[in-house]
Amino acid sequence: MKEVKLFHGPNHPGMHGNFSVHLTVDGDTVVSARPNPGMLHRGFEKLMERRSWIQNIALIPRICVPEPDINEAVYSMGVEALAGMEIPERAKYIRVIVLEIARIMIHLMSVGGIGGPTGLYTAPNWGIADRDLFLDIFEKLTGHRIYHMYIVPGGVRQDIPADLLKEIEEKLDNLEKRLVEYRELIFDHPIIHKRLKGTAPLPKELALAWGITGIGIRSNGFDYDIRKYDPYLVYDKLSFDVPVCDESDAYSRLMLKFREIPQSMRIIRQAIADMPAGKVRIKLPGNALKWKVPKGAVYSRLESSRGEYGYYMVSDGGLTPYRVHVRGASYPQGLYGVEAGLPGTRLEDVAVWLDTMGVCAPEFDR
Amino acid sequence: MLQNEFIAKIEQEFGLDSAHITIVAEKKIAVTVDSGQALAFLSYLKNIDFIQMSLITAVDWIAENHFELVYTLVSWEKNLTVSVSTFIPRSEPRMVSVRHIWPTAKYYEWDINEFFGIVFSGHPEMGKPLFLEGWSEKPPLRKDFDPQAYSYERFPSREYDYEVENKGRVVE
Repeated sequence: MKEVKLFHGPNHPGMHGNFSVHLTVDGDTVVSARPNPGMLHRGFEKLMERRSWIQNIALIPRICVPEPDINEAVYSMGVEALAGMEIPERAKYIRVIVLEIARIMIHLMSVGGIGGPTGLYTAPNWGIADRDLFLDIFEKLTGHRIYHMYIVPGGVRQDIPADLLKEIEEKLDNLEKRLVEYRELIFDHPIIHKRLKGTAPLPKELALAWGITGIGIRSNGFDYDIRKYDPYLVYDKLSFDVPVCDESDAYSRLMLKFREIPQSMRIIRQAIADMPAGKVRIKLPGNALKWKVPKGAVYSRLESSRGEYGYYMVSDGGLTPYRVHVRGASYPQGLYGVEAGLPGTRLEDVAVWLDTMGVCAPEFDR
Repeated sequence: MLQNEFIAKIEQEFGLDSAHITIVAEKKIAVTVDSGQALAFLSYLKNIDFIQMSLITAVDWIAENHFELVYTLVSWEKNLTVSVSTFIPRSEPRMVSVRHIWPTAKYYEWDINEFFGIVFSGHPEMGKPLFLEGWSEKPPLRKDFDPQAYSYERFPSREYDYEVENKGRVVE
């Protein structure tokens, strides 16, 4: 049969952002695939070299659009490691609360987002609506809805008010009731069962060879989670489980994301209960805009919703970073994975593949 | 101490001088090797279960006139992160590709080739565009590339030829 070249994207239901895949199809089966990234390349790494250490905080949340807080956190942790700073205990707990709310938000978006490639259009409406309630919390806490610029080197910008903590708990209780409905609408739905079960499998050997982290590896029976293996902030003091399953297909990967939401809730509730009183930020030495970070290099990383998210940061002792490399969590599956994993998939499953693998174009385009 | 055991192991098995090994933080080690030794050391690490290639990156040390290549590897079993640095001259930026050891390295190397102009031998895509389609300037993450000068040259400020009504006057 004649092979046809097909441009899938840049905009398609499996992607929040612009990322196209050049496919060669034989009938409905993909023969070869080539990722075509770069549509969201904004030159962050070069821009960061031209801004002071503190100014960068306003720039970096834009690197990953649906989950911006991890950028601030990983950057601040890196700068603190370079400067040898120890932040106040209360700031660590607040960071954990913020990061876990962000994780719930992105998981709601991905669980709802599966409606795009499968055609179950109630799901995205629900997901986005429930995510919006948490954006309200961020608006009250930081003044911004999407890009918060709240986590800064030295701690967090300001303390979290007590009534807001109560509101967070109320919203979590409400969401907990909603999750039952999500399960009925999405995970028990015949369309989802038919379209996702057995679709887009990710064999263990491939996952290991590509070096996938996060959901991709946890759906293959490994409990690798940086929050457990290399605990940062106060994750070693909080008890939570890492959901794991044995067979990786689109359904099980989506289910893992869904099962992580109650764990994040558990972490937030514990953090609110255990949070000590005290300062939330230590003052930087001298003028913050003229702050010089000591010489050195560090690879700072954390567990994002898609896997290991890291910054390699180099300082030459100057006013600006000498070099920062952003390691997007979906780099392995989004570039090499597309090339090696998509062939053999049917054309209608390409969007499902990209969606459930957690490919996020802005973070590897940078 | 897990790290010290590991350091003793690589000193003994690979014959690496301890001056080249530093402990960055808990569970994080940095190793510097010669560019000729790098491939052998990286494949040795792969064989002692550093299965995850987290990151390959480059740093342009323009004052010292060399590039630093940094390979960040993670072992889940040992729960260790190792950063392997190697230096290559700026005048002849060449390195051997590791994409046969870690397939994901293909895109990291392609990325570095595009942004730094470092050539990885044994890599089929060198010189082809990945992120920067239609880019003809020097590799943009090199320190001698000035993005401001480039944008002034590429996008000159426009001259407007019209009279501005009420210029400098307060209109009530």
